[in-house]
This record gives sequence, structure tokens and C-alpha cells, in this order.
Amino acid sequence: MKRILYVEHSACTSQLCQIRDKVRAACQSLAYTDSDINLITLVIDEACTNIIRYAYSGESGRIVLEIFQHEGEAIFHLQDFAKCIDKSCLELRKESLLEPGGLGLQLIYKVMDFVQLLPPKESVGNILELKKYLPKGSQK
Amino acid sequence: MTFVQKTHLHYQLLALTGEVDLHNSPQVRKQLLAIVESGNSVIVDFSSLSYIDSSGIATLVETYNLAKNKQLSLTIVGARGAPLQVLELTNLNKVFPMKDSLDEIKA
Repeated sequence: MKRILYVEHSACTSQLCQIRDKVRAACQSLAYTDSDINLITLVIDEACTNIIRYAYSGESGRIVLEIFQHEGEAIFHLQDFAKCIDKSCLELRKESLLEPGGLGLQLIYKVMDFVQLLPPKESVGNILELKKYLPKGSQK
Repeated sequence: MTFVQKTHLHYQLLALTGEVDLHNSPQVRKQLLAIVESGNSVIVDFSSLSYIDSSGIATLVETYNLAKNKQLSLTIVGARGAPLQVLELTNLNKVFPMKDSLDEIKA
């Protein structure tokens, strides 16, 4: 598994713009189309937003983002160091898009090919794993 | 992200520039809700908008619902690129009135 990116940021909304820039650059190096880069960047932003809003709930903390390339997939790991969340937090609600809440999670599921929570390292925090198939012909 | 508000025909137009995310969407929300609360239909100009996240989209939905309740409207103009993709992904491009340019909006 080849690591493409490792970044650590404070869990603060002012950091989101920098995180998006780094995700875009990493996705360009993986030969995704502009359309896919837009959507993957959106999804990582949404995941970071959820960490800031719900995992840390306004408290200070850190977000670690790692991107790996492995056997035809890009693998994104987003780690926080907040209280462990229940897997049910990743369940989609069936509310209308015109109702508040849950939109970020819906976007994550629509764009990514695989979504799961991994057991945290050192028994603290959460690791969200997202996978997206690489464009055909881009794998070496 | 910056925005400029001006009058266009009988609408209030809010032109957004740059990227809307959780950091700045509360500013956009405050501005949009104030426009509708004061009894104006609103046009949101996306022509210079390069990014919008779900908090920005939620703001649009909230404003759209408020406008509808007040017999007013919210129209999006000039969406393309990443912001248009988000609207399409959520199917909200079929909910919000969408126009390519201001020229398509009549008095």
C-alpha cells in the first residue's frame, strides 16, 4: 500500500480550505477526472465537517488525513481523537433532502465505493475509511 | 468567500465568490434569510462560486423553504463545475429554479 498523503490539521473550520487544496492535489496525482476530483474533495470536506461538528462538538482536537493507493483503489483514512462513535452514526436516514441534517453523509455514500469505521489505534478516537476505485488505466 | 448584494429587477441578488463551507456558510445564511424575511425574492448568483458544501446547500434549502412559505422565490443563476455537481448529486437542481444567466430572468 503506497501512501500518497499524510496531513494533520486542527479540527477547526478555518482549516477546511487547506485540507481541500491538499486533497485536490493528491487526487490529481492519482489521475482522477476533474469531475471525480470535485466530488472526492467534497466528500473529504464533508467528513472533516462531521468530525468538527459531531465528534469534537466544538471542542479543540486534531484531524489526521491519510490517502493510500492500493490495488486499483484510493483509500482515505480520516482519524480523530474524540470519543468513539457508534457505527449507527454512519447509517443513512431516509429524510427528504429538504429536511435539515444528514446531507453530508448522503453525499459520502453517493460518491464513495466503500465506507466503514475502523477500530481506532490506541483505543481512542475514530477512523473513517473511504475507498474510491481509481480511473481505469491509471493503475501502474 | 465574499458576497455582494444588489437589486436586479424586483429581486435581491446575492452574488457569491469563492468557496462556501462550514467556516463561512453562517454568513451566507444570515444574509439570505434576511433578504427573504424582509419580503424579497432572491437570486443567488453562482457564476463566480467555485465550491459549496452541504452546509451551504442546507442554507439554500432553508431559504428556499422560507421563501416558498412567504409566496416568494429563490432562483440560482450561473451554476457550473463543482457547485453544479453538488446540486445534481442531491437532485436539488430539480427543486430550485435554475437559470444559466441573469438574462433569462424576466421582471
